Amino acid sequence: MQNSHAYVASNTKLPLIASLTNVGLTLASRAGPVEILRSVSLDIEAGRSLAIVGPSGSGKTSLLMVLAGLEAVTRGRVIVAGADYSSMNESQRALLRAKDIGIVFQSFHLVPSMTATENVALPLQFANVAAADDLARGLLDDVGLGHRLRHYPSQLSGGEQQRVARARAVALNPRLLLADEPTGNLDGATGRQVIDMLFRLQLRNAATLVLVTHDEKLAAKADRVIRMADGRIVGDTAQDLPARDVTAADEPKRVSAASDAAQSR
Amino acid sequence: MSPLDVARGYEPEAARSLAQSRWPLWLTLALRDLRTGLSGFAVFIGCIALGVMVITGVGALSDALRNGLATQGKLILGGDLAFVRPHARATTDERAALGKLGRVSESATLRSMARRLDGSDQTLAELKAVDGLYPLAGAVTLDSSAALASVISQPMAAAVEGPLLDRLSLNVGDTLKVGDSDIVIRARLMFEPDGLGDRASFGPRILVSMATLERTGLIQPGTLIRWRYAVDLPASVPQSRDSLKEIAAQLRADLPGAGFTVADRFEPSPQLTRTLERLRQFLTLIGLTSLIVGGVGVANAVSTFVDKRRKVIATMKSLGAPPHFVFRMFLTQILAVAGIGVAIGLAFGYMVPFVVDAAVGSSLPVRAEFAVTWNSVATAIAYGLLVALLFALWPLGRAERVSPTVLFRDEVSGDRTWPRAPVIAATAAVGVALVAFTILTTDRWDIALGFYGGLSILLLVFWGVGQIVPRFVRLLPRPRSPELAVALSSIAAPGGLSAAILLSLGLGLSLLVAVALTDRSMQEELSGRLPERSPTYYVLDIGKGEAAPLQSFIANRAPGALIETAPMLRGRLVALKGVPAESVKTAPDAQWVLYGDRGLTFSAAIPPGSTVVEGTWWDAVYTGEPLVSFEAGLARKLGLGVGDEVTVNVLGRNLTARIANLREIKWESLNLNFVLVFSPNALEAAPYKLLATVTLPQNASLESETALGRDLGKAFPTTTQVRVKEAIAQFNKILEKVLIAVRVAGGVTLLAGALVLAGALATAQRRRLKEAVILKALGVTNRRIMLAHMCEYAILATVAGVFAIVLGSLAAYIGLRVMDVPFVFSLTAVAQALGVAVALVALLGLLSTTLVLRTPAVPLLKSE
Repeated sequence: MQNSHAYVASNTKLPLIASLTNVGLTLASRAGPVEILRSVSLDIEAGRSLAIVGPSGSGKTSLLMVLAGLEAVTRGRVIVAGADYSSMNESQRALLRAKDIGIVFQSFHLVPSMTATENVALPLQFANVAAADDLARGLLDDVGLGHRLRHYPSQLSGGEQQRVARARAVALNPRLLLADEPTGNLDGATGRQVIDMLFRLQLRNAATLVLVTHDEKLAAKADRVIRMADGRIVGDTAQDLPARDVTAADEPKRVSAASDAAQSR
Repeated sequence: MSPLDVARGYEPEAARSLAQSRWPLWLTLALRDLRTGLSGFAVFIGCIALGVMVITGVGALSDALRNGLATQGKLILGGDLAFVRPHARATTDERAALGKLGRVSESATLRSMARRLDGSDQTLAELKAVDGLYPLAGAVTLDSSAALASVISQPMAAAVEGPLLDRLSLNVGDTLKVGDSDIVIRARLMFEPDGLGDRASFGPRILVSMATLERTGLIQPGTLIRWRYAVDLPASVPQSRDSLKEIAAQLRADLPGAGFTVADRFEPSPQLTRTLERLRQFLTLIGLTSLIVGGVGVANAVSTFVDKRRKVIATMKSLGAPPHFVFRMFLTQILAVAGIGVAIGLAFGYMVPFVVDAAVGSSLPVRAEFAVTWNSVATAIAYGLLVALLFALWPLGRAERVSPTVLFRDEVSGDRTWPRAPVIAATAAVGVALVAFTILTTDRWDIALGFYGGLSILLLVFWGVGQIVPRFVRLLPRPRSPELAVALSSIAAPGGLSAAILLSLGLGLSLLVAVALTDRSMQEELSGRLPERSPTYYVLDIGKGEAAPLQSFIANRAPGALIETAPMLRGRLVALKGVPAESVKTAPDAQWVLYGDRGLTFSAAIPPGSTVVEGTWWDAVYTGEPLVSFEAGLARKLGLGVGDEVTVNVLGRNLTARIANLREIKWESLNLNFVLVFSPNALEAAPYKLLATVTLPQNASLESETALGRDLGKAFPTTTQVRVKEAIAQFNKILEKVLIAVRVAGGVTLLAGALVLAGALATAQRRRLKEAVILKALGVTNRRIMLAHMCEYAILATVAGVFAIVLGSLAAYIGLRVMDVPFVFSLTAVAQALGVAVALVALLGLLSTTLVLRTPAVPLLKSE
């Protein structure tokens, strides 16, 4: 980490995609209340990548769930994509999630009763995108699963399921991409592929990537690394990486075509 | 602790004791796994317990009533043996033969009209005349402390039952008219010890002395009188059932052609015993229905059970478990769980006699006396275990085929393997054993076979629907609506969950439709729609000389009324083609013809409403050997054809006649119909009475109907007038009781169906939960998730409902045919039933979805 320096939020000119202020999360358990997050404050800039590292039980995944709006905080304020979660009900948060957030889980969480195509087409359909199936097939083709379109999750290998999950997460071109231990259930080579692809997606779609991992090497690829312990942020470093022009993506944006289609309806 | 934990060696202490256990490892593991609780087996246990409870309860109640009959037998019969014959009083020789057995009491029973002296009111009554020895067992209770003998030995005196006094507004001390005679009511009859054994249920009882009966002039040749001889054997005679039967058989042999029907005190009312046995068999089939419907719940529960243990199975296999180890282990568990269900069912089943006795004990024909018979217990256990095995073996057999490779995959489903051949053979053997057991324990094997055939069709159709619908849905283009897409993919998903729901839902809805239509048809029947132009009155006991005066009386009194008369005698079929009736093998639904007395008639011409379908009718002046015309359907079932000989016992002598032709009868017409019609030369010389139907014009008022009956009674005092509407009302009272039984039985079966459905939905719930959480993470709102679930339920319920209407109607149609009630299809009844069911399923679904949506998503989403 000799190339890193302390991160200062005011240094950046980029707008924020998420902002957490004094966030606390306390859950009830049989042994009494457990403090999962203690006064976490964090600003996340749009279009960059962020890795969250820390030991088991430090609150990494909980922080991710808070960002996704799946976990309601006990204290503090969460603003994601300009919306304040505390003033939103469950449905409004769900709609925000559908519009702006894509999540990749460690255990993939594909709908077991749906084929690969159906899994990817689902968020597109809920967003009233026309030709959802065609788009889904294209997305699966992009991740190299053109030959697995009609397979059910139970008929796919772990790596293949991961790729379906990824294709589904980016189907609607989310501004915020959340990944929970995306390599956790995969072998080394497959894991590296996955990570490379996630970063490429982030760049291509000009999205923000928040990545929970315990793999330091993997974390080092992110623009910024947050270190957590016992529900607190204990380290925050920006990597000394070459600046990137996020506005001029070098690849054609297949997924934004989906968004255009949605808007044209 | 699960076997997986054990297998992985998580528990060193347990592992040590496993190695030391003296039992086989599969047994130890099976029992240890069960210790963790039976929560997944609630539906399994409930299904088995419910069915076993019904079967046990039916058996226990029937045992209790039979036991009551047996212990009170001598009282009910009024002696050790009873010999009964219609029309003909015992001859001197016959009395002498009976007298050699022991003390004999003679009684005579006949139906008659009882009228007020002024003729303003009349009712049908049952007159019974007794001798001085009556009763040989027990005692008659009167409203006063006077002895029966001292009351009725007075000239023209009677003890009369309360309902008759109330009906005619008479009191003790008043006089009533029976036939031509005035009879003084000396006492109110409170209890008649042999009332159950010696009763034809024509109406309330009038008890008189034999001398009084003789003085009334009612004993005439041809009058239908039931002569009964109760015998009290001396204590020196062996009293076992076999020796009683021997004595009866010996007497029959000594008096060939006497034509007595014999009952002994071990079975004082063969009629009642038969009815009880029929009822037991019928209700056992209902219990079996709920048990077999519950079997689907068992199959679902076992599938879920083994699905949850796929990794355990794979682990054991990868650790080198010997062949069949897994099968043995799970079979032990399943049998243990089935055993718990059977035990619960037995315990609750044996409460049934007490509950019934407490609730309706006073209206039971006999006092229930609690009894446990090996037969009833064994039947219930056999049915419980056979059904559990029948439905559990298949999923267990598939479970042991699980490949160890499932350990290396996330979740495997959809790969439907077949069990090993021996397991398939065992399943088939259990099925055959189940059917065979039922057939062996019933005398209506035709109904039993039809029952299994029908249930198999029901199960097969809905199993097929469950297999086809998901495949069909997979072929459909993806719908635009995402909710519908989620619903359809959920239905099409591999893993067989929608198949289980369709099967359970289909069975439940079919039962519901069947019960609703049966109910509606029986109510329709009860509402008493009479056939067009049905008779108003039956007039019985018309003397030969009275027929012409009666016809002219009707012609004067009620112009426009139709009157039809026929000679009428009662007799018993004693031999067919020379084979004694007792040894004749018949179709089960024709046996009734051989029990007890039948009405007989003779006619020169083909009776109205009949058509000769085989053979020819005799000449009007035929004089050859006696000929008879037989009802075609019954003849076929009894194996009789034109040219065969049948023997009937009439008036104490045997009459053999050759079948000249077969007739088809329109039974519905309520006209005079007889199974046996003889050629006139066979019977016209015998003393007989006539039977008549009087049909008033359709616009006749109720008052004119009643008045006609009253006037007929006055003008022909020794005849009996039965109003058809009253007779039908009487019949409807029986039908009402059957309707209650059908409702209770239907309710129990529906409960089983509901239990099975709840089990299937609970299994689906697990997957639904996972699905809903993922949808939430994808940003789908609760409202849309709920809508998707509703779509899925609506589609499944519609598919199941359509098939259920067809199959349920068919089931009701067949069931009603067995009960001889015309089938009525009512769309309203079906719509109401299905409406309620669909509303309930929707409510259940809504509840389950609400529970799913309330479940916090995060714990399920976090990495495992």
